[in-house]
Amino acid sequence: MGLKEKLHGIKEDFKGKKMAPAFNALHTFLYTPNETTHNGSHIRAVDDLKRTMNTVIMALIPVLIWGIFNAGYQHYAAVDAANGIIREASLFGNFFTWDNFAMGAITVLPLVIVSYLVGLGVEFIFAVIKGHEVEEGYLVTGMLVPLIVPVDIPLWMLAVAVVFGVVIGKEVFGGTGMNILNPALTIRAFLFFAYPTWMSGDKVWVHGAKDVVGTPDAISGETILGAYAQNSSVVYDFADKFFGFIPGSVGETSTFLIILGGLFLMFTKIASWRIIFSAIVGAAVMGLIFNGVVYQGWIAEGSKFYGLMNTPFWEHLIIGGIAFGIVYMATDPVSGAQTNTGKYWYGFLIGFFSIMIRVFNPAYPEGVFLAILLMNVFAPTIDHYVVQANVKKRMKRLKLKTA
Amino acid sequence: MEHVELFFKSIFIDNMVFATFLGMCSYLAVSKKVSTAVGLGAAVIFVLAVTVPMNWLLDQYVLRPGALTWLGAEYADYDLSFLSFILFIATIATMVQLVEIVVEKFAPALYTSLGIFLPLIAVNCAILGGSLFMQSRDIQTLGLAFNYGLASGIGWFLAILAIAAIREKIRYSNVPAPLRGLGITFIITGLMAIGFMSFGGMLTGGEEKTETTDEVAKVEVQKQDAATEDESLAEVSQEINNK
Repeated sequence: MGLKEKLHGIKEDFKGKKMAPAFNALHTFLYTPNETTHNGSHIRAVDDLKRTMNTVIMALIPVLIWGIFNAGYQHYAAVDAANGIIREASLFGNFFTWDNFAMGAITVLPLVIVSYLVGLGVEFIFAVIKGHEVEEGYLVTGMLVPLIVPVDIPLWMLAVAVVFGVVIGKEVFGGTGMNILNPALTIRAFLFFAYPTWMSGDKVWVHGAKDVVGTPDAISGETILGAYAQNSSVVYDFADKFFGFIPGSVGETSTFLIILGGLFLMFTKIASWRIIFSAIVGAAVMGLIFNGVVYQGWIAEGSKFYGLMNTPFWEHLIIGGIAFGIVYMATDPVSGAQTNTGKYWYGFLIGFFSIMIRVFNPAYPEGVFLAILLMNVFAPTIDHYVVQANVKKRMKRLKLKTA
Repeated sequence: MEHVELFFKSIFIDNMVFATFLGMCSYLAVSKKVSTAVGLGAAVIFVLAVTVPMNWLLDQYVLRPGALTWLGAEYADYDLSFLSFILFIATIATMVQLVEIVVEKFAPALYTSLGIFLPLIAVNCAILGGSLFMQSRDIQTLGLAFNYGLASGIGWFLAILAIAAIREKIRYSNVPAPLRGLGITFIITGLMAIGFMSFGGMLTGGEEKTETTDEVAKVEVQKQDAATEDESLAEVSQEINNK
């Protein structure tokens, strides 16, 4: 008797018991359930919720691996810089090294583990109490959360935020597929507003920077956006920014890998290309408007908005979290717009507001996650009007026909 | 520029619902359907846009200390500001009656669906709040007062529109029984306020992020900003002239 049969046997024993959902969650993760449906007509398909979630996680794995190496790389680079050594980034020379990996693993992997343990723990508790099956919604959220926080965030803060995000952001609405805001972004927003000193500034993006503040060994790791916001010059060149040899949240740095992940998600039709496309257009339009303002000379060089307004529009797309946000967050099928026309609007406004908040709101150097949350709020409104417009159009057609 | 800034500031940054949590009663009660919400939102926009400038006139020429100077020098040291509440409310109640008559005449369906909430606009805190903010923020001209009323109304309209659409959407959600109805609506409002926090501190430069309640400081900083921008504009134009 193999493992499969044994598990099916245990399942029969557990049936109707309190812990059944917890067991079933693990069971269905390993094997397809042996139930057959009893009535109605059915479509046999394998792309269930778990498959969908796993596809997104597959698209996230390269980003995570890059994030691990980059966490180590940035730490050693910052230490070197503090000692006066300037590093030239080279992929196999000093990036993919065991030192970097070890340093990155001990900082990043605990984030992943805490995120999954706490989040899935909450999900299991809710499933057992409410007596429904464990839903897989947290699989992706749990992977996204460690990728959008700074490396040095204390683990207990992450745990508190995850509990908030899962309970208030999702479970009170009835679980996976019912939430109005993206849970991962709810978690980040909670962290951002509850513990701002750990979420922004120039000391949180490089591991260890906070511990050595004020000592002779002090290191700094300012993000590019932070540097632009203060009108100071940036030492990174295009390749650094595009491939991701820069400080930032764990997973957001490498635009190149994010594009690859995005193409994979679009190819598998998990992510909507409409949202991604229109979000890029929206961001580019807003960036161009700001560039135009600078070109016309409407803004003085000393103004505090000058640095970010003067950033070329294409550069806005590869620095900061905008690529990550557009590819992995904005395309969340639950909290985004549902109609096709609505998706264009939704995406466009995300890009538009992202750059606008980034430039006009120096309090928040990164506007992407807030822009997506804002558009999550308005997505149902957009959908409503798209549907109404369609209804009106059809009514008209009907009238024409009968008349 | 001043107008544009005030307009967007009142809609997004100082949103009536999400920044000050005013006007909650009708916001929570009439947001079950988008169509009704649109009607009530439009009524609020109209009432705010009319009452704020009217109350501005009252404030300028009757209520504030020294406002009665136009009657004669002997009235110069009268201070009637203790009458603000009652006069503002009187104006608002009158205007709401007017709106009610108009709506009943021209949109009977909307009138019946709004029901008791239309007369209740008279005591909607967002409306009185608009007038009182106008007074305390010391809005300078009649045009700005109109702008402020209109923009606050639009902000409130957007808020109720968004929550109505969300509530229509979550009708199919499996919300736990104890939270159904008002409970979940409060939670949604809180989450929406997080979304709107993206605008908090915008344009001010974020320096006074810790003291956002300090309105005066904010206004001063903005004035300075405006001044520096004007200076820079002047410089630029001078350069052009030189060339």
